[in-house]
Amino acid sequence: MINLDAYAYSNALKIVHPAEKLSFAMITLVVCLASPTVITPLIVLALMAGGIIIKAGIPGRFFVKLMLVPLTFLLVSVLTIAFSISPSPAGFWLAHNVGGLTLGIRFPDLITAVHIFIKSLGAVSCLYFLALTTPITEIITVLGKMRVPVIITELMVLIYRFIFVFMEIATTIRRAQSSRLGYISKKSSFRSLSWLFSALFGKVFLKSNELFDTMTSRCYTGEIKVLAKKYPVSLKNYLVLTMLEIPLVLLNLLGR
Amino acid sequence: MSEVILEAVDIEFSYPDGTNALRRVNLQVKKGEKLAILGSNGAGKSTLFLHFNGIYRPNSGSIKYRGQDVSYDKKALIELRKKVGIVFQDPDSQLFSASVWQDISFGPLNLELAEEVVMDRVQQAMLDTETTDLKDKPTHLLSYGQKKRVSIAGVLAMEPEVIIFDEPTAWLDPRHAREFMELLEKLSQKGKTIIISTHDVDLAYVWSDRIAVMHSGEIIANGEPGEVFLQPELIKRADLVLPWLLEMHGVLVQKGWLSPAIPLPKTREDLFSSIAARSERKLSAL
Ligand SMILES: Nc1ncnc2c1ncn2[C@@H]1O[C@H](COP(=O)(O)OP(=O)(O)OP(=O)(O)O)[C@@H](O)[C@H]1O
Ligand SMILES: [Mg+2]
Repeated sequence: MINLDAYAYSNALKIVHPAEKLSFAMITLVVCLASPTVITPLIVLALMAGGIIIKAGIPGRFFVKLMLVPLTFLLVSVLTIAFSISPSPAGFWLAHNVGGLTLGIRFPDLITAVHIFIKSLGAVSCLYFLALTTPITEIITVLGKMRVPVIITELMVLIYRFIFVFMEIATTIRRAQSSRLGYISKKSSFRSLSWLFSALFGKVFLKSNELFDTMTSRCYTGEIKVLAKKYPVSLKNYLVLTMLEIPLVLLNLLGR
Repeated sequence: MSEVILEAVDIEFSYPDGTNALRRVNLQVKKGEKLAILGSNGAGKSTLFLHFNGIYRPNSGSIKYRGQDVSYDKKALIELRKKVGIVFQDPDSQLFSASVWQDISFGPLNLELAEEVVMDRVQQAMLDTETTDLKDKPTHLLSYGQKKRVSIAGVLAMEPEVIIFDEPTAWLDPRHAREFMELLEKLSQKGKTIIISTHDVDLAYVWSDRIAVMHSGEIIANGEPGEVFLQPELIKRADLVLPWLLEMHGVLVQKGWLSPAIPLPKTREDLFSSIAARSERKLSAL
């Protein structure tokens, strides 16, 4: 998670306008999800893998590891779709009889399951592309330009920043506890963990008060105004984007 | 030069939990001066600073800016905060954005300056604090000292007249601490009024024009560095120690290496040169 965030600031695509990366990821995501066949999602997956590994220069191993994260979750949900239990053995493609009940896979279900599996992987790869190439702060700026309500973008700014502040506090407290053997037994672990949480809540409260004070002292009056970083707008990137999306859309239409 | 720019008059303040953090604090800050506030942990330094910015309102007493009582209506507060900037003790509670550049631009943008002006100021503040290289890094990947420098830049970019630094050199490495002191010197030459709080008596002694000593919510001494440090009971009461220059000077005088007539050294060079003179004389006498 932390590495993922760090790559967003150091990848080879960091100079590309965030709006371009955002539209690329989002349009491809929609095209991928709208696809009636598995071909588009597979192409999308390849496209994003190429973008992430070749264009953004992120190590392939790291990308594979990231793709494995949702895999268990995906497999479980996909298996529940593929398998069914029924009193009659009719219509099963693969079946096993257990005490009068038939447990097995129906062929159409299998197809649906495979579709969903591949589509999800394709969609996840789009999101990874965005997360790995574009800092959240830049995404927020683009969202602001797209007239997403200020309350949402400002909350995102603060939440994103304070995730890290609190994680650091939690890590420090935990380290301090472990160094005094706070996690040596199950009982002490529970106790230490509950202390960690109450300490953290206390800090959250304090920090939010302090943050308000420090912002007020810099003339904050209810609206967070910051400079947006300037990126060169590349017409070429938009052209490439269009060139990539058109065949995918056509493929979707043909597959209907 | 001796015009009073910021003043605390008989300030009393208690936190909601009953902690009596300030007790009848009186302090005058003169325009263009370099004021150091010394005091042990919990003495009330940070609390006093928050009053100078109108963040806290005293239970009784008043804050004056250029001789005028600060009225706590919205407009007056904004005016005060434009003129008086604070760099807080903990950069993690000052940096609200994950982007260094955006965080620094926050203050000047609130002053309703044109975007180009803000950009220039951000650039200049980053040069002054050597944070230009950190521009594209997220704040959470910075070291503590780097965060501190970014938070300093965020206030410098607002170009206030009075700049208050709450423990600016804690956590800075020796090089950056020295460079920070040079930056303070530069700001001071531009006519800014500077207040710092610190636990570093050496730094306070060498740098400041005036020292105020706080102890459990009160100002117990206020004067030129030489004067303040010549009161041993006071130093003890405030849990301070002597700056090494003065301590060394004292020992050398006591053991007869220096004549008591030699003025207090203000820099290490002062001290070293007076020692060299005496030894040479002694050697030639042998
Ligand atoms: N938010 C708060 N609520 C209650 N009491 C507080 C709060 N902040 C500070 N205090 C108390 O007020 C007193 C003065 O604190 P302050 O932070 O001003 O000290 P300080 O001189 O800045 O100390 P340090 O050198 O440790 O920064 C302390 O006794 C402290 O415990
Ligand atoms: Mg303090």
